[in-house]
Amino acid sequence: MFQDFKSDGFMFCIAIGVLLFVVAQSVFFLLRAIKRGKQIGITGDQIKGTIASSALFSIAPAISIAVTVLVLSVALGYVLPWIRLSVIGAIQYEVPAAEAAIEAAGLSGGIGVDVSDPKVFTAVAWVMSLGCILPLILIPLFLKKIQGKISGTMNKNTKWADLMSAAAFIGIIAAFLGRGIAGTGEQTVLESGEKINAVIGDGAGVLSLTAIVCSIVFMLLLVFINKKLQWKWLESFAMPLAMILSMVVIVLLNTYAPSLAAIEWRY
Amino acid sequence: MKNKKRSYLDSVHLYGSIWCIAALFVMLLVPTLMCLHLGVWPDGSVVAKAFFSIAILFYPTAVVEVVAYGPLLGAGGTYLSFLTGNIANLKLPCALNSMENAKVRANSEEGEIISTISIATSAIVTTVIIAVFVMIFAFNPSFTSLMQSETLAPAFKQVTYTIFGALAATYFAKHWKISILPIAAVSLILVFAGSMQIGVLLVIGVVVSLLGAHLMYKLKWV
Repeated sequence: MFQDFKSDGFMFCIAIGVLLFVVAQSVFFLLRAIKRGKQIGITGDQIKGTIASSALFSIAPAISIAVTVLVLSVALGYVLPWIRLSVIGAIQYEVPAAEAAIEAAGLSGGIGVDVSDPKVFTAVAWVMSLGCILPLILIPLFLKKIQGKISGTMNKNTKWADLMSAAAFIGIIAAFLGRGIAGTGEQTVLESGEKINAVIGDGAGVLSLTAIVCSIVFMLLLVFINKKLQWKWLESFAMPLAMILSMVVIVLLNTYAPSLAAIEWRY
Repeated sequence: MKNKKRSYLDSVHLYGSIWCIAALFVMLLVPTLMCLHLGVWPDGSVVAKAFFSIAILFYPTAVVEVVAYGPLLGAGGTYLSFLTGNIANLKLPCALNSMENAKVRANSEEGEIISTISIATSAIVTTVIIAVFVMIFAFNPSFTSLMQSETLAPAFKQVTYTIFGALAATYFAKHWKISILPIAAVSLILVFAGSMQIGVLLVIGVVVSLLGAHLMYKLKWV
């Protein structure tokens, strides 16, 4: 398995080193926040609830990220996508970055082609790394100033501050939901010029709409149950549960009605 | 109390900056070590051509992300999110869900603490899960086939929609008046430019939403 230069023992050692770095910084911030939280009166139950719900919340997206590692592994092996998606990277950036580098090296087929030339592989590694480092320069330079200014505005007018925070996040939600309603997926152009769906499930269609509708319905249902029955534990777990239940519906739909699930109006 | 708050926030900025510089070093060390290990260096023109083609798209988005996410995540949450990545599709919704559950405001010190705890937990869990799955992929080809099967692969493409659908249920119910405009604007844009990158859509969604909310606030509609 390690005969492939992209996934040999040394490469795995680099990945493990990077992962230890990520875990170390997370533990560092976590312990400091817990200590400070206790000083300002955040209860142990609130801290435990936050940790438990965040852990459960992260399971399905983490598996989805792992699947992206698998997608990129065809071209790049396991190690480079693994590193890139564990530190700074994001699904929406790593795939285009890898494709841009592969295409610049003169290979056609994008991330579907096995990169067997170490020179091309290292080019991809550099492009993926350089493509994501800007925030690491911007944040130490500007974050304190940005947050200082925004805190000033927020403290002056808390009603507008709360509305502004909600509006910013609603803008983000709108962007992602918009893609599920009307975004196109990957297409293949046939010799005749006709465009066909290249990847099932990546364009707006039955699956994306089912995901959106189910998660909204399950979330509202769980919030309603929580209000009626006063189950404290459910409050923290409503969102991860809504996500997991929606995923179950999608898998069932895809298993028992594959032709319906494959319908995409924006492939 | 105020001094303590300031000193905690100041220390978050100090240590956050140190971790950022360390991460920058690590990010550049990874491809350097790969080049040294393989004994080859890439063609500079290939790297430059690909880098500029993605930098045009990613770098302006990165600037907007720092400005847009910073106030929502708090100082510790912002440093940690940008260091560990997958912000919009994981860390941000996770932190906002935790703050909502704990009933704390995003811009309070309590919000700062809950956001940091949430993002740190998410980063550790995500790192471990990805590592476990990569090991299973590497050692168990039949599991790899299962994950790539026609049943599971399309389902995993919908995870992001389940996250934002569940969040929409909470946010839209509370703020339905300011939600209509950004959803309508983004959907309309996608009808004409369906393949628009999510980074560009995020910028449009946030700007339209903020402008709409500000107008409604001034008109006393909200």
